[in-house]
Amino acid sequence: MNKAFRDKRTIFLMIFPGLAFLFFAMIMPIFLSIYYGMTDWPGIGPMNFVGLKNFREIILSDSVFWTSLGNAVKLTLVTLFLQNPLAVIVCIMILACRKNARFFRTVYYIPAIIPIVVTTKLWVGVFNPTYGLLNKFLSVIGLDFLATNWLSNPRTAVWSVILIVIWQGFGWAILFYYSGLVSIPNEFKEAALIDGAGGVKLYTKVILPLMMPVIRAVVIIALITCFKQMETVYLSTGGGPGNITQFLANYLYIKAFVSYEFGYGNALSILFVSISLLGTYLLIRFTRAKAGEY
Amino acid sequence: MKAKRVIWLLTGLLVLCTLPAAGGLNAAAEKVVLRMGDNIPDRNSPWGLVIEEINAEFMRKHPHVEIVTESLQDQPYQQKIRIYAASNQLPDVFKYWSHPPLLGPMVENDYIMALNPADYDDMGFVAGSLEVNMYDGKLYGLPTNADFWVIYYNQRLFEENKVEVPATMDELLAAAEVFQANGIIPISTMGREGWPLVITFDTLVGRYSNDFDIIQKALDREARFTEVPFLQAARKFMELVNAGLFQADLLTSDYGAARNLFGQEVAAMHVMGSWELGLSTDTAFSEQFRENVRAMRFPAVAGEAGDIDNLSAWFGGNYVVSAQTEHKELALDYLDMYFTRYPDLAWEKKVNIPAQVVRATDEDGPLAQDLLAILGSAKATGDPSQDRGTPAFKEAYERLAQELVAGIKTPEQFVMELDRIAEKYAE
Repeated sequence: MNKAFRDKRTIFLMIFPGLAFLFFAMIMPIFLSIYYGMTDWPGIGPMNFVGLKNFREIILSDSVFWTSLGNAVKLTLVTLFLQNPLAVIVCIMILACRKNARFFRTVYYIPAIIPIVVTTKLWVGVFNPTYGLLNKFLSVIGLDFLATNWLSNPRTAVWSVILIVIWQGFGWAILFYYSGLVSIPNEFKEAALIDGAGGVKLYTKVILPLMMPVIRAVVIIALITCFKQMETVYLSTGGGPGNITQFLANYLYIKAFVSYEFGYGNALSILFVSISLLGTYLLIRFTRAKAGEY
Repeated sequence: MKAKRVIWLLTGLLVLCTLPAAGGLNAAAEKVVLRMGDNIPDRNSPWGLVIEEINAEFMRKHPHVEIVTESLQDQPYQQKIRIYAASNQLPDVFKYWSHPPLLGPMVENDYIMALNPADYDDMGFVAGSLEVNMYDGKLYGLPTNADFWVIYYNQRLFEENKVEVPATMDELLAAAEVFQANGIIPISTMGREGWPLVITFDTLVGRYSNDFDIIQKALDREARFTEVPFLQAARKFMELVNAGLFQADLLTSDYGAARNLFGQEVAAMHVMGSWELGLSTDTAFSEQFRENVRAMRFPAVAGEAGDIDNLSAWFGGNYVVSAQTEHKELALDYLDMYFTRYPDLAWEKKVNIPAQVVRATDEDGPLAQDLLAILGSAKATGDPSQDRGTPAFKEAYERLAQELVAGIKTPEQFVMELDRIAEKYAE
């Protein structure tokens, strides 16, 4: 048996199915996508090789690409600096609740288990300028002047979409951070308390540094999720009005499958993957040194 | 001995059981599957029911034929057809749009078959309806319906609010004011997708220029989108939007939401194509609504050249035959039956206005009569401008129209940007 495992042909035969799957399902499509990105193929009929023209056009003259990227960055920043800290605070409060922790955990996790189609349509209803809950609420509390057409107003549309996405992802953030918090051994907390680190200091100096591996994982997942955001955008505004709420994934879908600029759409997808990889790499490098261990 | 008898008995039974199965196999071998494709996934809708009725009739005439239909909404349907075309798996007979950017590549790459126009001479196709499917003098598709842009209105709401049917834009604005004052949305339409906005804009251009030729000239780059009628139309469009003529959530309203506002009598008017003839028979809405729904022409602009009888009109719902079909005769036979039966069935069930001549009857409701009258009095017609360019131009144009309505672009910026994208995609 051991002899068989040492035989190179046996090893090759055993890993071949996995390698073949990796090649045909991952590597080959990426190279095909790069190739299609260098053509003007409309999806059917002949394709012409145009070199780097698509990439040049995207970077130098496609304002929608930059709007989409800008919106993805906005969403990422709001997720990292608003949703995540808020989720951590809520988790700490839930833990402090002890008796009712399970109830609050369930309540906060509910948005994560409802299908995105449902939550998006629900929020579109909330934002409806005529019948929506938000404008009605503003009217009741005497803030009528703030009422607007949330998803069509160029000043509020993208932030309204971001709010929906943040709300949808809040349950996941709670799940990760809550797991991180409860997994920290009590000894650390007790030792810190004995040393006089109470209240805010306990969390900023002890708990959060110990949670860095969790924070790092959540931040990377958040970055990837924000950059590939599509469902909520597609279902709420479709990227409109115009392209004001456009996001990268939705934009490349439109280019490839609505405008039938398949080559251009592939070039967009290559840039999209490259940007996501670069962002992930930078985040990993930035957070590596700060990761706590216990 | 006993065991031997049992074996013989079982063998005999096995043979007996196999015989009908073998017969079945022969029958199955003779069975022909005719693959169809269309964009009517709701087979219980009036249109879906008409198609199913024709299919059933066809299968009764050809008992050895089984019709298998793939039906999806417009966008995924278009994508699927393109994938099928690229992989030589097109359905035998399928619906496909006649717009040059969509049908053109199908013809150029020999994916669909040329038809013999003489075969359809006596089918009463409306003048001009077959021409949209002609490439190099050959006919490639048959249209099912004649579509045109109208305003549906609720006669009861008009009467109760003492509003006359408007013939000019000023009258339309005055009517809107009355409806708004009484808590009624003047007009509903869809804005989440930009095509209704573009067709409305086209119609407005026609109200200033008196014909639709200027649009084609601008697309062919013989004229500019920055010329006066386009700018006037963009300004008028914004005047209507700013006057609150449309529902507040116009740009996020999808097709169904906009239609429901009108059907539930929350909106007094509804801007849409003539295919909404079925509003008068749609049991999802109240009887009161169905009895009061009417159609009117898009109002003219007082003092401008455009005639109120100029129509944004086109022919749609084309059927084509795959060039690779193994059942050419059956496919052509199907087309023959479809276009023999469709006009009467579609008119009887008020599916839409067929592209073939139909006989109006006394039983036709007032909405059907209104639409026939509008079509009958049309002086100049033009098909939607966004469908005359490439799909990329269409997409860019529709989003630009949304930007105009959202106030992201001024009318001046809108026409300049429209001219820029027309130039870009004309290349």
